[in-house]
Amino acid sequence: MATAAIETHGLVKRYGEVTAVAGVDLTIAPHNIYALLGPNGAGKTTTISMLTTLVPPTAGSAQVAGYDITSQARQVRRRIGVTFQDIVLDPDLTGRQVLDIHGKLYRMNRQERKTRITRLVELVQLEEAIDRRVKTYSGGMKRRLELARGLLTDPQILFLDEPTQGLDPQNRIGIWNYIRELNRERGMTLLLTTHYMEEAEVLAHAVGIIDHGKMVAEGKPASLVSALGADVIRVHGHGDQQHFLHTLGTLPFVEQVQIDEHDNLVQVFVDNGNRRLVEVVQAASGNGFRVEDIAVAQPSLGDVFLRHTGRTFRD
Amino acid sequence: MHATYVIWSKHMTKFFRNAEEALGLAIQSVLWVVLFGVGMRGIVTQVSGGDYLAFILPGIIALSALAGAVGGGMMLLDERLRGITKEYLVSPIPRLSILLGNAASTTTKALLQALLMLLIGVLMGVRLAGNPLGWLAALLLVGLFALGFSGIALAVAAVSRSIMGYHGMIFLFNLPLLFASNALYPLSVLPTWMRTLVLFNPTTYLIDAVRALAFGAEPTLGLFSSTAVILLFAILGIWLALTAFRRSIRR
Ligand SMILES: Nc1ncnc2c1ncn2[C@@H]1O[C@H](COP(=O)(O)OP(=O)(O)O)[C@@H](O)[C@H]1O
Ligand SMILES: [Mg+2]
Repeated sequence: MATAAIETHGLVKRYGEVTAVAGVDLTIAPHNIYALLGPNGAGKTTTISMLTTLVPPTAGSAQVAGYDITSQARQVRRRIGVTFQDIVLDPDLTGRQVLDIHGKLYRMNRQERKTRITRLVELVQLEEAIDRRVKTYSGGMKRRLELARGLLTDPQILFLDEPTQGLDPQNRIGIWNYIRELNRERGMTLLLTTHYMEEAEVLAHAVGIIDHGKMVAEGKPASLVSALGADVIRVHGHGDQQHFLHTLGTLPFVEQVQIDEHDNLVQVFVDNGNRRLVEVVQAASGNGFRVEDIAVAQPSLGDVFLRHTGRTFRD
Repeated sequence: MHATYVIWSKHMTKFFRNAEEALGLAIQSVLWVVLFGVGMRGIVTQVSGGDYLAFILPGIIALSALAGAVGGGMMLLDERLRGITKEYLVSPIPRLSILLGNAASTTTKALLQALLMLLIGVLMGVRLAGNPLGWLAALLLVGLFALGFSGIALAVAAVSRSIMGYHGMIFLFNLPLLFASNALYPLSVLPTWMRTLVLFNPTTYLIDAVRALAFGAEPTLGLFSSTAVILLFAILGIWLALTAFRRSIRR
């Protein structure tokens, strides 16, 4: 397939005074996992809501699976699966009823529903609980049930809004494994949002970083990271930070400098950490900045995020 | 139509699974008929010279249809506040079916309750009209009435922000609909100004028609016009619900 799975052009959503999404252009190749990263309130959920035809955009356009989200909403709906950020399950139904009713809404026949439900329940490991009412489920079980529901109709594109929010690490890794498996075996396109850095790092073929409703960086995780520099030298210390920063700025091999005043941390992105370590220490001490601790590391997606949003990820 | 059926059957499954809800409704019906019927029979004797229980039963049925509709609206509001409507909204079904499914299940419950009340009434000695087709027609009208009122309740539920707000708004026209009607006293004993008011209330027409069709009373308003009013009311209710619902999701 040559056309993109999802393509948006200047997508905007305004709620009165608030601009939730401020013109997002986005292209997601088929069979890819795309992670939309951003702090709370960045506009991730609103973007997903528009792409899943839940709310109409204020301006701009988008195609999902080749169909326009406003004029061909019905076609889009037939081809997508969605799990919402908040848990959306009827507590009085059993897990099996939830899945069965969902299948009926999509006009799956009885036999289809039966076999798919059996397989999916196995996949998300809910065999024991599936005939109990949803109100007796734990948070992780509800999430897994929702994932099964999103997959029931074998969608071409699956939207997952914060799929692992509030889950313990074990459940989280379990969900990551399903997501990867789905993508590998079925070639399903996935758009997920998250504010967990590792999640994007581990899963995504491509990430988009969104802040204040705008896309601030986009690309493969590895290329976003390498754009920052090969290594990062983390310098903890006290003293005349301004002067230190100024000197760093004059060094030719320094590609980026970030400061976290809160932790008295200066991060220096350089072409080669081990080779430049001594020069960085000299730059610090020669300027009245007392180094307490210093380390060389590879930059992470977290550093990319900090660079583009000015905020660190705090889970 | 298919999606309407699926949503209807979902609500009915929940209804029968929730033993308290089904049982609660049944007990409520019995209590209403027995308490109202027996209590009032002692006090009121001069009304139409006949059986007061037969006189008041249509009013009780109308009241329970009102209560059922309020419950149906509650269900939509609950699904909206929980976000469950989002599951419907991203699926390839017509928006209208979400409302119709809900209104249909509400109407079904109201009919079941009406049937049960009639049965209890009969067990307590109320005499039905001779023609079973009349009973059927009466039930049909009760169904239409419940549909119309569900529409109003759904419209309110579609725009309410909270459960409190919903009940506050419903309360505003729930009570007048019952008391400003011929449910408790015949039209002929009402002062003229009150009678004019009462004639604007669709409940009045339902009650008059049910009295005639199921219990063989003389219709005071004309069966044909009563049916027309109730039908119009049902259409109006559903239209109102659809308008409010459309507005609530176009955000
Ligand atoms: N229905 C709404 N009405 C008004 N403001 C909204 C609504 N939905 C979202 N917003 C606002 O839009 C912004 C983006 O929200 P959201 O898309 O939920 O962000 P995220 O999912 O990235 O946390 C926030 O400032 C939020 O308060
Ligand atoms: Mg969100």
